[in-house]
Amino acid sequence: MRPQDREAVLVDVVQRVSERWSRPAHAAEHAVLDTLYEERRRLERQANSADTPERRALYERLRREAPKASPELQREMLRELVQGFAAEVAGSFSAPVYALATRVLPPALNVLLNTLSPLRLLESLPGGGGRLDEQLEMEGETDAVKALAGRATLMFVPTHASHLDSVLMGLALYRLGLPPVLYGAGLNLFENPLIGVFMRHVGAYRVDRTKKAAVYKDVLKAYAGCTLERGYHQLFFPGGTRSRSGAVERHLKMGLLGMALDAYANNLRAGRPRPDVFVVPCTLNYQLVLEAETLIEDFLKEAGKSRYIIVDDEFSKPRRVLEFVRRLFTLDSRVHLVFGRPLDVFGNPVDADGTSRDARGRPVDRRRYLLARGEVVADRQRDAEYTVELAEAVARAFQRDTVVKATHLLSHTALGLFRELNPERDLYRLLRVGVDEESLDLRTVYTRLDAALARLSDLCVAGRLRLDPRLARQDAGALVGQALAHLGSYHRAPALFRRGDRLFSADRSLLLFYGNRLGEHEALREVA
Amino acid sequence: MTRKKRPEVLVVGGGAFGTTLAALLAEGGKTTRLWVRRPEQAEAINRDHVNARYLPDVTLPPALEAVTDLKRHAEGVPLVLVVVPTAWFRDTVRELGEVIGGDQVVVHASKGLELATGRRMSELLREETCARKIGVLSGPNLAREIGAGHPAGALIASRYDEVVERVQGLFLGSRFRVYGGRDVVGAELCGAFKNVIALAAGVVDGLGLGDNTKALLLTRGLSEMARFVAAEGGDPLTCGGLAGMGDLVATCGSALSRNHRFGVRLAAGETREAIEADAIQVAEGVRTTAAVHRRATAHGLDLPIVRAVHGLLYDGWSAGQALEWLMARPIGPEMAALRVR
Repeated sequence: MRPQDREAVLVDVVQRVSERWSRPAHAAEHAVLDTLYEERRRLERQANSADTPERRALYERLRREAPKASPELQREMLRELVQGFAAEVAGSFSAPVYALATRVLPPALNVLLNTLSPLRLLESLPGGGGRLDEQLEMEGETDAVKALAGRATLMFVPTHASHLDSVLMGLALYRLGLPPVLYGAGLNLFENPLIGVFMRHVGAYRVDRTKKAAVYKDVLKAYAGCTLERGYHQLFFPGGTRSRSGAVERHLKMGLLGMALDAYANNLRAGRPRPDVFVVPCTLNYQLVLEAETLIEDFLKEAGKSRYIIVDDEFSKPRRVLEFVRRLFTLDSRVHLVFGRPLDVFGNPVDADGTSRDARGRPVDRRRYLLARGEVVADRQRDAEYTVELAEAVARAFQRDTVVKATHLLSHTALGLFRELNPERDLYRLLRVGVDEESLDLRTVYTRLDAALARLSDLCVAGRLRLDPRLARQDAGALVGQALAHLGSYHRAPALFRRGDRLFSADRSLLLFYGNRLGEHEALREVA
Repeated sequence: MTRKKRPEVLVVGGGAFGTTLAALLAEGGKTTRLWVRRPEQAEAINRDHVNARYLPDVTLPPALEAVTDLKRHAEGVPLVLVVVPTAWFRDTVRELGEVIGGDQVVVHASKGLELATGRRMSELLREETCARKIGVLSGPNLAREIGAGHPAGALIASRYDEVVERVQGLFLGSRFRVYGGRDVVGAELCGAFKNVIALAAGVVDGLGLGDNTKALLLTRGLSEMARFVAAEGGDPLTCGGLAGMGDLVATCGSALSRNHRFGVRLAAGETREAIEADAIQVAEGVRTTAAVHRRATAHGLDLPIVRAVHGLLYDGWSAGQALEWLMARPIGPEMAALRVR
């Protein structure tokens, strides 16, 4: 962030959040007491948290004084709390580093690659010199994104499968020549030995998910909103967290997406010269997901109620990340990043020149959605509903731009066949019982794959989803070979392996995880 | 003539219901225009204050102005109320889409599904215009009775509170009571589905089967409606409201309903083609039956009454055959299919 903006953003954030909590009369008091309560609980939970003695002293003082303070004083106390949170969020942002990252990007890229170098990653790769970014393939509306980046503020909203997503997004945006994007990253990412340095370079600011106080969440939102209004492109994962099931997200966080509309409306009201905010749905598509084992285990354990924070997964183990990245190279396993068509905050597609289009391709005057009697007017219910429509458009783009890969297709097919072998078992039994004994006839698998490929090609032509270009050229045999090379090599137990002319699975949960990418796809689920 | 007030509402469609709603609004002091397709019709309405073809018994308020230039009059008007048959809905709203802006409210009162796609009218509005503030007005609204000033009610359903409030405000103080709701899918499907049941009710009356049979038909029809609505993502409770139950009762009991009359003639042994050939007005249920049947089949729903009406209209079943087929069906627990699985 430009240094001159940093102070202004801080002032703005404190102003906005304090104002929001100053009406009705007792709101400030409640906000102060609630925040102190939530913070005390947090400090009890994490005895060794990194909080400064100053902050603890502030909490202690406020706790003593708040109950008997006058309403004015309570508002002042609220400001102090908000100020503390805001400084923490923005404070992790190093202006000189950002400036460097903006002007001289190659060093930033080197930092990324060097973050892996303590492990001598690069030298250890077969053939030497392979780089993560060579495994990244970009498709879709890259030209429109580049063109719009100079005339509007962009909010990139990718699907979320892995912590590597933000790294790859950072790389992709660098390749497109865009300045770093602002990104609210969990503290665990900053503390991660591999990626912490990189995080600060993509423009990440700290999000402490252990802070539960509503005021803190408001500060985060205001921070994102204020920076968005000042023209800083942002990166959000609208699913809120990595997909536990492996499926592409269909239910998105309205709070995050709604910030785009708020920023646009505020910009219009303030008469800012570049008011537009556009949302760019992106999909990241992997043959293998670094954290697949932890994610699907969490999915099955909680039956979909994911733990919001997993701190102890594959990503926090450098050896695992090394192993994973090495696999990407040895398998030549391309990661596909698709930039979807940019959308305005009402869900209309936007051209490279910034024109919104209706479903018939006619130009739309997007400002009119916010007008009442000729003025830009806020209407909470209306705006929330606009955001629902935006979320629906993003979710549709996620479906359309899902790139089906060999591991998804084979996993989906294999799990389907195991299901047919055991029609009486529910999903959980299917995943656990008979895993060692049962196997699939390879010829049956080929037959199914051929049929599935034909159907997927049709769906691909109809624009319902995308097919890995390699997959489109392959026959079932080559497809199985490619998928088995992936599924059998990286994970602790092979999701699928071949013995003679039969396929065995040592971990059906992984079949579910990779298969869900396809099996939960809307085009395959919907009625004829 | 003095300069007119800025128009508040454009009613699109000069059929019986469109004309009735426009008249009601104009009587309530709302500056209203009625778009009709044919210039002669517009001239006649403006000259004689009567819609001779579709609503001959009602004198229209002089303030109601009929117009024929859709794009010109839709531009900038705060609220557009579309009341055209589903067969022309897409073409009509595509033209609207040329001029409509995101600040305008677009409400429709067309009951039925698009034949070719099975889509709901609000879906067509989304596809053909840039409008977001979309609503559906649906209920037991036999045009002639409303025209005669009898009390009536309907549901305005929209995801947008503003749409609900605006439409309620328009009819405030009239004898047309408009209740609000959020379930657009349910409201539209109720309005479409009831036409299928109305056709069946006409058959029941045509065969002279009596009130018990009619009650059986309506109740089981309501059950099928609720299952269909739920399968499509709507709220089955909507079926118990004005758009569902209310409209079923009015349409199926009334000789004023076009769908009902169509059913009576089917019972008399006439074919669909023959009846369609000499009808002035469209019986929406005929097309809707095909669309509903197709979608229900796709959902794997078993809707016997829909199946039977489809048989009558499209598969050459006689009324007697359809009745026998229904009577031979196995009988299960009454509410089984409606309970939450």
